[in-house]
Amino acid sequence: MAARQKRYAIVVDSKKCLNCKACVVACRAENSVPLDYSRPWMNEETRGVWPKLLAAFQPEQCHQCAHPACVRVCPTGASHHRPDGIVVVNEADCVGCRYCMIACPYNARFFRKDKGVVEKCDFCTQRVDRGQLPACVETCPSGVRIFGDLNDPKNRLAELLSSREYRVKKPEAGTGPQVYYLI
Amino acid sequence: MKTIEWGFLIVNYLFLGGLSAGVYFISALAALLYKPGEPSPYTRIARLGALLAPWPVMIGCVLLIFDLGHWYRFYKLFLHVRLVSPMSIGSWLLVFFNLVALVNCYAWLTEQQRNTWFAKLPRQLAFLTKFNYDLDHWRRGLAFAGLPISVGVGIYTGVLLGAVQSRPFWNTNLVAQLFLFSALSTGCAALILGLSGRDKAAQELRLLYSLDVCFMVLEVFIVLPYLIHGQLSVQAVQDSLKLILGGPFTILFWVFFLGLGLLTPLVIELRELVPAIVSNRELHYSRLLAAGTAVLILGGGFLLRYIFVFAGQMSAME
Repeated sequence: MAARQKRYAIVVDSKKCLNCKACVVACRAENSVPLDYSRPWMNEETRGVWPKLLAAFQPEQCHQCAHPACVRVCPTGASHHRPDGIVVVNEADCVGCRYCMIACPYNARFFRKDKGVVEKCDFCTQRVDRGQLPACVETCPSGVRIFGDLNDPKNRLAELLSSREYRVKKPEAGTGPQVYYLI
Repeated sequence: MKTIEWGFLIVNYLFLGGLSAGVYFISALAALLYKPGEPSPYTRIARLGALLAPWPVMIGCVLLIFDLGHWYRFYKLFLHVRLVSPMSIGSWLLVFFNLVALVNCYAWLTEQQRNTWFAKLPRQLAFLTKFNYDLDHWRRGLAFAGLPISVGVGIYTGVLLGAVQSRPFWNTNLVAQLFLFSALSTGCAALILGLSGRDKAAQELRLLYSLDVCFMVLEVFIVLPYLIHGQLSVQAVQDSLKLILGGPFTILFWVFFLGLGLLTPLVIELRELVPAIVSNRELHYSRLLAAGTAVLILGGGFLLRYIFVFAGQMSAME
Protein backbone atom coordinates (compact mmCIF):
# COMPACT_ATOMS: atom_id res chain seq x y z
CA MET A 1 0.00 0.00 0.00
CA ALA A 2 1.33 3.44 -0.93
CA ALA A 3 2.29 5.67 1.96
CA ARG A 4 -0.40 8.21 2.83
CA GLN A 5 0.44 11.69 1.52
CA LYS A 6 1.45 14.06 4.27
CA ARG A 7 0.14 17.65 4.41
CA TYR A 8 2.11 19.76 6.84
CA ALA A 9 0.68 22.76 8.66
CA ILE A 10 1.22 24.78 11.82
CA VAL A 11 -1.23 25.71 14.53
CA VAL A 12 -0.39 28.85 16.50
CA ASP A 13 -1.71 29.32 20.02
CA SER A 14 -0.73 32.95 20.22
CA LYS A 15 -2.13 33.49 23.73
CA LYS A 16 0.85 31.52 24.99
CA CYS A 17 3.36 33.75 23.21
CA LEU A 18 5.74 35.72 25.46
CA ASN A 19 7.45 37.62 22.65
CA CYS A 20 10.82 36.11 23.63
CA LYS A 21 11.70 35.75 19.91
CA ALA A 22 13.48 32.45 20.48
CA CYS A 23 11.80 31.23 17.27
CA VAL A 24 13.37 34.03 15.26
CA VAL A 25 16.81 33.30 16.73
CA ALA A 26 16.53 29.52 16.31
CA CYS A 27 15.48 29.97 12.68
CA ARG A 28 18.35 32.34 12.06
CA ALA A 29 20.83 29.79 13.44
CA GLU A 30 19.28 26.80 11.69
CA ASN A 31 18.93 28.41 8.27
CA SER A 32 21.89 30.83 8.33
CA VAL A 33 19.68 33.88 7.84
CA PRO A 34 21.69 37.13 8.06
CA LEU A 35 20.75 39.73 10.65
CA ASP A 36 19.05 42.06 8.17
CA TYR A 37 16.34 39.53 7.37
CA SER A 38 14.08 37.11 9.17
CA ARG A 39 11.89 34.22 8.08
CA PRO A 40 9.44 34.25 11.00
CA TRP A 41 8.45 37.55 12.61
CA MET A 42 6.40 38.85 15.53
CA ASN A 43 3.27 40.98 15.31
CA GLU A 44 2.86 43.09 18.43
CA GLU A 45 -0.33 44.86 19.29
CA THR A 46 -1.01 47.07 22.30
CA ARG A 47 -4.42 48.47 23.01
CA GLY A 48 -6.23 50.48 25.67
CA VAL A 49 -5.23 53.02 28.32
CA TRP A 50 -3.49 52.20 31.60
CA PRO A 51 -4.54 50.39 33.75
CA LYS A 52 -6.79 48.65 31.26
CA LEU A 53 -4.27 47.47 28.71
CA LEU A 54 -3.80 44.63 26.33
CA ALA A 55 -0.53 43.53 24.82
CA ALA A 56 -0.90 40.74 22.28
CA PHE A 57 1.89 38.94 20.47
CA GLN A 58 1.37 36.88 17.41
CA PRO A 59 4.13 35.06 15.58
CA GLU A 60 3.84 34.82 11.82
CA GLN A 61 5.76 33.18 8.99
CA CYS A 62 5.09 31.87 5.49
CA HIS A 63 1.57 30.45 5.51
CA GLN A 64 2.51 27.55 3.16
CA CYS A 65 -0.68 28.23 1.21
CA ALA A 66 -2.57 25.45 -0.50
CA HIS A 67 -2.92 27.63 -3.63
CA PRO A 68 0.16 29.83 -3.34
CA ALA A 69 0.17 33.06 -5.38
CA CYS A 70 3.99 33.08 -5.31
CA VAL A 71 4.17 29.69 -7.04
CA ARG A 72 1.66 30.71 -9.69
CA VAL A 73 3.49 33.89 -10.71
CA CYS A 74 7.05 32.49 -10.60
CA PRO A 75 8.39 32.63 -14.17
CA THR A 76 10.90 29.80 -13.77
CA GLY A 77 9.16 27.43 -11.37
CA ALA A 78 11.84 28.11 -8.74
CA SER A 79 9.04 28.64 -6.22
CA HIS A 80 7.22 25.37 -6.05
CA HIS A 81 4.88 23.31 -3.95
CA ARG A 82 6.17 20.07 -2.48
CA PRO A 83 3.71 17.16 -2.38
CA ASP A 84 3.67 17.51 1.43
CA GLY A 85 2.33 21.07 1.07
CA ILE A 86 5.51 22.98 1.89
CA VAL A 87 6.24 25.88 -0.47
CA VAL A 88 9.96 26.12 -1.22
CA VAL A 89 12.28 28.19 -3.42
CA ASN A 90 14.85 26.37 -5.50
CA GLU A 91 17.70 28.88 -5.37
CA ALA A 92 19.34 27.44 -8.49
CA ASP A 93 16.32 28.40 -10.59
CA CYS A 94 15.50 31.74 -8.93
CA VAL A 95 16.39 34.74 -11.11
CA GLY A 96 15.55 37.31 -8.42
CA CYS A 97 12.71 39.06 -10.28
CA ARG A 98 10.83 39.42 -6.95
CA TYR A 99 7.41 38.95 -8.55
CA CYS A 100 6.65 36.37 -5.83
CA MET A 101 7.35 38.93 -3.09
CA ILE A 102 4.85 41.30 -4.67
CA ALA A 103 2.29 38.51 -5.09
CA CYS A 104 2.52 37.25 -1.48
CA PRO A 105 -0.41 38.64 0.55
CA TYR A 106 1.54 38.07 3.79
CA ASN A 107 4.83 39.72 2.75
CA ALA A 108 6.47 36.54 3.99
CA ARG A 109 9.32 36.63 1.50
CA PHE A 110 12.50 38.66 1.40
CA PHE A 111 15.20 39.33 -1.17
CA ARG A 112 18.72 38.21 -0.29
CA LYS A 113 20.76 40.93 -1.99
CA ASP A 114 23.98 38.97 -1.36
CA LYS A 115 22.71 35.86 -3.12
CA GLY A 116 20.38 37.61 -5.58
CA VAL A 117 17.54 35.23 -4.75
CA VAL A 118 14.31 35.29 -2.78
CA GLU A 119 14.09 33.39 0.48
CA LYS A 120 11.29 32.36 2.83
CA CYS A 121 10.27 30.01 5.63
CA ASP A 122 10.18 26.41 4.41
CA PHE A 123 9.21 24.73 7.71
CA CYS A 124 12.91 23.69 7.90
CA THR A 125 12.52 21.02 5.20
CA GLN A 126 16.01 19.73 6.02
CA ARG A 127 14.82 18.87 9.56
CA VAL A 128 11.29 17.77 8.64
CA ASP A 129 12.66 15.33 6.06
CA ARG A 130 14.72 13.74 8.88
CA GLY A 131 11.59 13.42 11.00
CA GLN A 132 12.47 16.38 13.24
CA LEU A 133 10.40 19.45 14.07
CA PRO A 134 11.05 22.87 12.48
CA ALA A 135 13.55 24.88 14.56
CA CYS A 136 10.98 27.53 15.62
CA VAL A 137 8.59 24.83 16.84
CA GLU A 138 11.22 22.90 18.76
CA THR A 139 12.73 25.89 20.51
CA CYS A 140 9.54 27.63 21.67
CA PRO A 141 9.55 27.61 25.50
CA SER A 142 5.79 27.93 25.85
CA GLY A 143 4.72 25.68 22.98
CA VAL A 144 3.01 28.33 20.88
CA ARG A 145 3.51 26.52 17.58
CA ILE A 146 2.22 23.00 17.00
CA PHE A 147 3.56 21.36 13.85
CA GLY A 148 2.04 18.33 12.26
CA ASP A 149 0.40 16.46 9.44
CA LEU A 150 -3.18 17.52 8.62
CA ASN A 151 -3.86 14.13 7.05
CA ASP A 152 -3.09 12.23 10.24
CA PRO A 153 -6.21 12.30 12.44
CA LYS A 154 -4.26 11.05 15.49
CA ASN A 155 -2.01 14.07 15.31
CA ARG A 156 -2.07 16.75 18.04
CA LEU A 157 -2.53 19.34 15.30
CA ALA A 158 -5.56 17.60 13.82
CA GLU A 159 -6.97 17.16 17.30
CA LEU A 160 -6.69 20.91 18.03
CA LEU A 161 -8.24 21.89 14.72
CA SER A 162 -11.21 19.59 15.31
CA SER A 163 -11.81 20.67 18.90
CA ARG A 164 -10.85 24.37 19.02
CA GLU A 165 -11.97 27.46 17.15
CA TYR A 166 -9.39 28.96 14.86
CA ARG A 167 -8.92 31.47 12.09
CA VAL A 168 -6.54 31.95 9.21
CA LYS A 169 -5.17 35.31 8.09
CA LYS A 170 -6.49 37.04 4.95
CA PRO A 171 -8.58 34.11 3.68
CA GLU A 172 -10.02 36.59 1.16
CA ALA A 173 -6.72 36.46 -0.73
CA GLY A 174 -7.85 33.03 -1.87
CA THR A 175 -4.51 31.34 -1.33
CA GLY A 176 -5.64 28.80 1.27
CA PRO A 177 -3.19 29.61 4.10
CA GLN A 178 -2.02 26.70 6.30
CA VAL A 179 -1.05 28.55 9.45
CA TYR A 180 -3.99 28.24 11.83
CA TYR A 181 -4.41 30.67 14.72
CA LEU A 182 -6.36 29.34 17.70
CA ILE A 183 -8.89 31.78 19.10
CA MET B 1 8.16 43.00 5.83
CA LYS B 2 6.54 45.11 3.15
CA THR B 3 9.06 46.63 0.78
CA ILE B 4 8.97 48.41 -2.57
CA GLU B 5 10.70 45.88 -4.79
CA TRP B 6 10.12 47.24 -8.27
CA GLY B 7 11.49 50.71 -8.87
CA PHE B 8 12.57 53.01 -11.67
CA LEU B 9 14.09 50.30 -13.86
CA ILE B 10 10.72 48.59 -14.05
CA VAL B 11 8.84 51.88 -14.59
CA ASN B 12 11.15 52.72 -17.47
CA TYR B 13 10.86 49.24 -18.96
CA LEU B 14 7.05 49.34 -18.80
CA PHE B 15 7.11 52.66 -20.63
CA LEU B 16 9.70 51.69 -23.25
CA GLY B 17 8.15 48.26 -23.89
CA GLY B 18 4.72 49.84 -24.36
CA LEU B 19 6.18 52.54 -26.59
CA SER B 20 7.80 49.99 -28.91
CA ALA B 21 4.67 47.87 -29.01
CA GLY B 22 2.60 50.95 -29.89
CA VAL B 23 5.02 52.16 -32.56
CA TYR B 24 5.13 48.70 -34.15
CA PHE B 25 1.35 48.36 -34.07
CA ILE B 26 0.73 51.71 -35.78
CA SER B 27 3.53 51.13 -38.26
CA ALA B 28 2.13 47.70 -39.15
CA LEU B 29 -1.37 49.17 -39.58
CA ALA B 30 0.05 51.83 -41.88
CA ALA B 31 1.90 49.16 -43.84
CA LEU B 32 -1.32 47.23 -44.36
CA LEU B 33 -3.48 50.24 -45.32
CA TYR B 34 -2.88 50.10 -49.04
CA LYS B 35 -3.43 47.81 -51.97
CA PRO B 36 -0.28 45.89 -52.93
CA GLY B 37 1.27 47.44 -55.99
CA GLU B 38 -0.16 50.90 -55.39
CA PRO B 39 1.74 53.74 -53.73
CA SER B 40 0.58 54.23 -50.16
CA PRO B 41 0.05 57.64 -48.55
CA TYR B 42 1.22 56.14 -45.25
CA THR B 43 4.61 54.74 -46.24
CA ARG B 44 6.45 57.30 -44.12
CA ILE B 45 4.54 56.20 -40.99
CA ALA B 46 5.24 52.56 -41.75
CA ARG B 47 8.95 53.18 -42.40
CA LEU B 48 9.52 55.53 -39.47
CA GLY B 49 7.70 53.12 -37.15
CA ALA B 50 9.59 50.11 -38.42
CA LEU B 51 12.95 51.83 -38.01
CA LEU B 52 12.06 53.10 -34.52
CA ALA B 53 10.25 50.09 -33.02
CA PRO B 54 13.07 47.71 -31.95
CA TRP B 55 15.20 50.18 -29.96
CA PRO B 56 13.08 51.30 -26.98
CA VAL B 57 12.05 47.74 -26.14
CA MET B 58 15.65 46.56 -26.40
CA ILE B 59 16.78 49.22 -23.94
CA GLY B 60 13.81 48.19 -21.76
CA CYS B 61 14.89 44.54 -21.84
CA VAL B 62 18.39 45.52 -20.72
CA LEU B 63 16.82 47.44 -17.80
CA LEU B 64 14.73 44.37 -16.91
CA ILE B 65 17.78 42.14 -16.91
CA PHE B 66 19.66 44.52 -14.63
CA ASP B 67 16.72 44.58 -12.24
CA LEU B 68 17.17 40.86 -11.57
CA GLY B 69 19.08 39.53 -8.58
CA HIS B 70 22.11 38.77 -10.74
CA TRP B 71 21.84 39.98 -14.32
CA TYR B 72 23.74 36.99 -15.73
CA ARG B 73 21.07 34.59 -14.53
CA PHE B 74 18.41 35.97 -16.88
CA TYR B 75 18.86 33.01 -19.24
CA LYS B 76 17.09 30.83 -16.68
CA LEU B 77 13.85 32.57 -17.70
CA PHE B 78 14.22 30.82 -21.05
CA LEU B 79 14.82 27.35 -19.67
CA HIS B 80 11.16 27.20 -18.64
CA VAL B 81 7.77 27.94 -20.14
CA ARG B 82 5.13 28.54 -17.47
CA LEU B 83 1.81 29.54 -18.96
CA VAL B 84 0.35 30.41 -15.55
CA SER B 85 3.01 33.04 -14.94
CA PRO B 86 2.45 36.32 -16.80
CA MET B 87 6.17 37.03 -16.44
CA SER B 88 7.12 33.81 -18.20
CA ILE B 89 4.67 34.52 -21.03
CA GLY B 90 5.99 38.09 -21.18
CA SER B 91 9.64 37.03 -21.41
CA TRP B 92 8.90 34.83 -24.39
CA LEU B 93 6.72 37.50 -26.02
CA LEU B 94 9.61 39.94 -25.69
CA VAL B 95 11.98 37.54 -27.44
CA PHE B 96 9.62 37.10 -30.38
CA PHE B 97 8.78 40.79 -30.49
CA ASN B 98 12.43 41.84 -30.52
CA LEU B 99 13.17 39.40 -33.35
CA VAL B 100 10.19 40.43 -35.48
CA ALA B 101 10.82 44.14 -34.86
CA LEU B 102 14.48 43.80 -35.84
CA VAL B 103 13.74 41.90 -39.04
CA ASN B 104 10.96 44.38 -39.82
CA CYS B 105 13.36 47.26 -39.23
CA TYR B 106 15.80 45.70 -41.69
CA ALA B 107 13.05 45.02 -44.21
CA TRP B 108 12.06 48.70 -44.26
CA LEU B 109 15.56 50.01 -44.96
CA THR B 110 15.85 51.43 -48.47
CA GLU B 111 18.28 49.76 -50.82
CA GLN B 112 20.51 52.83 -50.61
CA GLN B 113 20.54 52.71 -46.79
CA ARG B 114 21.41 49.02 -46.83
CA ASN B 115 24.23 49.55 -49.29
CA THR B 116 25.67 52.46 -47.31
CA TRP B 117 25.58 50.47 -44.07
CA PHE B 118 27.13 47.36 -45.50
CA ALA B 119 29.82 49.48 -47.16
CA LYS B 120 30.75 50.87 -43.74
CA LEU B 121 31.54 47.42 -42.29
CA PRO B 122 35.21 46.96 -41.29
CA ARG B 123 37.18 44.61 -43.52
CA GLN B 124 37.07 41.74 -41.00
CA LEU B 125 33.28 41.79 -41.14
CA ALA B 126 33.10 42.25 -44.90
CA PHE B 127 31.79 38.71 -45.33
CA LEU B 128 28.51 39.98 -43.85
CA THR B 129 27.77 41.79 -47.14
CA LYS B 130 26.40 38.55 -48.49
CA PHE B 131 23.48 39.08 -46.08
CA ASN B 132 22.53 42.26 -47.93
CA TYR B 133 19.15 40.79 -48.92
CA ASP B 134 16.23 42.74 -50.26
CA LEU B 135 13.33 41.92 -47.92
CA ASP B 136 10.81 44.44 -49.30
CA HIS B 137 8.36 41.65 -50.13
CA TRP B 138 8.37 40.56 -46.45
CA ARG B 139 6.92 43.85 -45.20
CA ARG B 140 3.24 42.89 -45.32
CA GLY B 141 3.90 39.47 -43.84
CA LEU B 142 5.93 40.97 -41.01
CA ALA B 143 3.20 43.53 -40.37
CA PHE B 144 0.62 40.74 -40.07
CA ALA B 145 2.85 38.57 -37.91
CA GLY B 146 3.88 41.44 -35.67
CA LEU B 147 0.41 42.87 -34.98
CA PRO B 148 -0.67 40.20 -32.45
CA ILE B 149 2.80 40.07 -30.87
CA SER B 150 2.87 43.84 -30.40
CA VAL B 151 -0.60 43.75 -28.82
CA GLY B 152 0.71 40.98 -26.56
CA VAL B 153 3.71 43.05 -25.48
CA GLY B 154 1.46 46.06 -24.93
CA ILE B 155 -1.08 44.24 -22.80
CA TYR B 156 0.91 41.62 -20.89
CA THR B 157 2.51 44.19 -18.57
CA GLY B 158 -0.94 45.20 -17.37
CA VAL B 159 -1.94 41.55 -17.02
CA LEU B 160 1.23 40.95 -15.01
CA LEU B 161 0.28 43.64 -12.50
CA GLY B 162 -3.43 42.78 -12.56
CA ALA B 163 -2.76 39.10 -11.83
CA VAL B 164 -1.62 39.87 -8.29
CA GLN B 165 -4.53 39.34 -5.88
CA SER B 166 -2.64 40.78 -2.95
CA ARG B 167 -2.29 44.30 -4.44
CA PRO B 168 -5.81 45.71 -4.72
CA PHE B 169 -4.66 48.78 -6.68
CA TRP B 170 -3.71 46.45 -9.55
CA ASN B 171 -6.08 43.56 -9.15
CA THR B 172 -8.57 44.47 -11.88
CA ASN B 173 -8.79 43.63 -15.57
CA LEU B 174 -8.93 47.36 -16.33
CA VAL B 175 -5.20 47.78 -15.72
CA ALA B 176 -4.34 45.52 -18.65
CA GLN B 177 -6.62 47.49 -20.97
CA LEU B 178 -5.38 50.81 -19.68
CA PHE B 179 -1.75 49.78 -20.27
CA LEU B 180 -2.53 48.52 -23.77
CA PHE B 181 -4.30 51.68 -24.95
CA SER B 182 -1.73 53.86 -23.26
CA ALA B 183 0.99 51.89 -25.10
CA LEU B 184 -0.76 52.35 -28.45
CA SER B 185 -1.28 56.04 -27.71
CA THR B 186 2.39 56.62 -26.81
CA GLY B 187 3.31 54.79 -30.03
CA CYS B 188 1.11 57.22 -31.96
CA ALA B 189 2.69 60.11 -30.10
CA ALA B 190 6.23 59.03 -30.98
CA LEU B 191 5.26 58.86 -34.66
CA ILE B 192 3.46 62.23 -34.49
CA LEU B 193 6.62 63.68 -32.97
CA GLY B 194 8.73 62.11 -35.71
CA LEU B 195 6.48 63.37 -38.52
CA SER B 196 5.77 66.83 -37.10
CA GLY B 197 9.06 68.09 -38.50
CA ARG B 198 8.50 66.71 -41.99
CA ASP B 199 6.80 68.51 -44.87
CA LYS B 200 3.40 67.64 -46.31
CA ALA B 201 2.44 65.38 -43.42
CA ALA B 202 -1.24 66.39 -43.31
CA GLN B 203 -2.67 63.08 -44.43
CA GLU B 204 -0.35 61.05 -42.21
CA LEU B 205 -1.05 63.20 -39.17
CA ARG B 206 -4.75 62.90 -39.86
CA LEU B 207 -4.47 59.11 -39.57
CA LEU B 208 -2.30 59.30 -36.46
CA TYR B 209 -4.57 61.85 -34.78
CA SER B 210 -7.66 59.78 -35.57
CA LEU B 211 -6.12 56.62 -34.10
CA ASP B 212 -4.74 58.48 -31.11
CA VAL B 213 -8.09 60.11 -30.34
CA CYS B 214 -9.67 56.63 -30.30
CA PHE B 215 -6.99 55.27 -27.97
CA MET B 216 -7.20 58.22 -25.59
CA VAL B 217 -11.01 58.17 -25.45
CA LEU B 218 -10.75 54.48 -24.59
CA GLU B 219 -8.24 55.35 -21.87
CA VAL B 220 -10.59 57.95 -20.41
CA PHE B 221 -13.40 55.41 -20.31
CA ILE B 222 -11.14 52.92 -18.57
CA VAL B 223 -9.93 55.38 -15.95
CA LEU B 224 -13.49 56.44 -15.11
CA PRO B 225 -14.88 52.96 -14.34
CA TYR B 226 -11.59 52.09 -12.61
CA LEU B 227 -12.19 54.92 -10.16
CA ILE B 228 -15.95 54.51 -9.82
CA HIS B 229 -16.01 50.74 -9.57
CA GLY B 230 -13.09 50.84 -7.13
CA GLN B 231 -15.12 53.08 -4.86
CA LEU B 232 -18.00 50.58 -5.00
CA SER B 233 -15.73 47.62 -4.27
CA VAL B 234 -14.51 46.05 -1.02
CA GLN B 235 -12.69 48.00 1.67
CA ALA B 236 -9.19 46.97 0.52
CA VAL B 237 -9.82 48.37 -2.97
CA GLN B 238 -11.33 51.58 -1.60
CA ASP B 239 -8.31 51.99 0.65
CA SER B 240 -5.89 51.41 -2.20
CA LEU B 241 -7.61 54.09 -4.30
CA LYS B 242 -6.97 56.58 -1.50
CA LEU B 243 -3.38 56.61 -2.80
CA ILE B 244 -4.65 58.67 -5.77
CA LEU B 245 -7.66 60.19 -3.99
CA GLY B 246 -5.93 62.31 -1.37
CA GLY B 247 -2.83 60.15 -0.93
CA PRO B 248 0.74 60.73 -2.14
CA PHE B 249 -0.06 60.22 -5.85
CA THR B 250 -3.11 62.51 -6.02
CA ILE B 251 -1.58 65.51 -7.78
CA LEU B 252 0.54 63.33 -10.02
CA PHE B 253 -2.50 61.36 -11.09
CA TRP B 254 -5.11 64.06 -11.49
CA VAL B 255 -3.07 67.04 -12.66
CA PHE B 256 -0.10 65.56 -14.45
CA PHE B 257 -1.39 62.23 -15.78
CA LEU B 258 -5.11 62.80 -16.31
CA GLY B 259 -5.04 66.56 -16.92
CA LEU B 260 -1.80 67.22 -18.80
CA GLY B 261 -0.99 63.74 -20.07
CA LEU B 262 -4.42 62.62 -21.28
CA LEU B 263 -7.19 65.24 -21.44
CA THR B 264 -5.09 68.16 -22.72
CA PRO B 265 -3.62 66.25 -25.70
CA LEU B 266 -7.07 64.77 -26.38
CA VAL B 267 -8.59 68.25 -26.58
CA ILE B 268 -5.74 69.56 -28.76
CA GLU B 269 -6.00 66.64 -31.17
CA LEU B 270 -9.80 66.98 -31.39
CA ARG B 271 -9.40 70.71 -31.96
CA GLU B 272 -7.06 69.99 -34.90
CA LEU B 273 -8.97 67.03 -36.27
CA VAL B 274 -12.68 67.91 -36.00
CA PRO B 275 -12.77 70.85 -38.49
CA ALA B 276 -10.96 68.70 -41.06
CA ILE B 277 -13.43 65.85 -40.58
CA VAL B 278 -16.55 68.02 -40.50
CA SER B 279 -15.74 69.92 -43.69
CA ASN B 280 -13.82 66.98 -45.20
CA ARG B 281 -10.82 69.19 -45.88
CA GLU B 282 -7.14 68.56 -45.57
CA LEU B 283 -5.87 68.84 -42.01
CA HIS B 284 -4.40 72.26 -41.24
CA TYR B 285 -2.07 71.33 -38.47
CA SER B 286 0.36 73.29 -36.40
CA ARG B 287 3.78 71.66 -36.15
CA LEU B 288 4.37 73.09 -32.72
CA LEU B 289 1.03 71.81 -31.41
CA ALA B 290 1.67 68.40 -32.94
CA ALA B 291 5.08 68.11 -31.29
CA GLY B 292 3.78 69.53 -27.99
CA THR B 293 0.86 67.11 -27.91
CA ALA B 294 3.17 64.21 -28.58
CA VAL B 295 5.47 65.20 -25.73
CA LEU B 296 2.51 65.52 -23.36
CA ILE B 297 1.24 62.06 -24.31
CA LEU B 298 4.67 60.49 -23.86
CA GLY B 299 4.99 62.17 -20.45
CA GLY B 300 1.52 60.98 -19.48
CA GLY B 301 2.32 57.43 -20.52
CA PHE B 302 5.45 57.44 -18.41
CA LEU B 303 3.60 58.88 -15.39
CA LEU B 304 0.88 56.25 -15.70
CA ARG B 305 3.53 53.51 -15.29
CA TYR B 306 5.21 55.39 -12.48
CA ILE B 307 1.98 55.82 -10.53
CA PHE B 308 0.83 52.24 -11.04
CA VAL B 309 4.15 50.60 -10.19
CA PHE B 310 4.64 52.50 -6.94
CA ALA B 311 1.05 52.92 -5.78
CA GLY B 312 0.35 49.28 -6.56
CA GLN B 313 3.19 48.09 -4.37
CA MET B 314 2.07 50.39 -1.57
CA SER B 315 -1.46 48.97 -1.65
CA ALA B 316 -2.17 45.84 0.40
CA MET B 317 -4.95 43.71 1.81
CA GLU B 318 -5.05 44.92 5.38
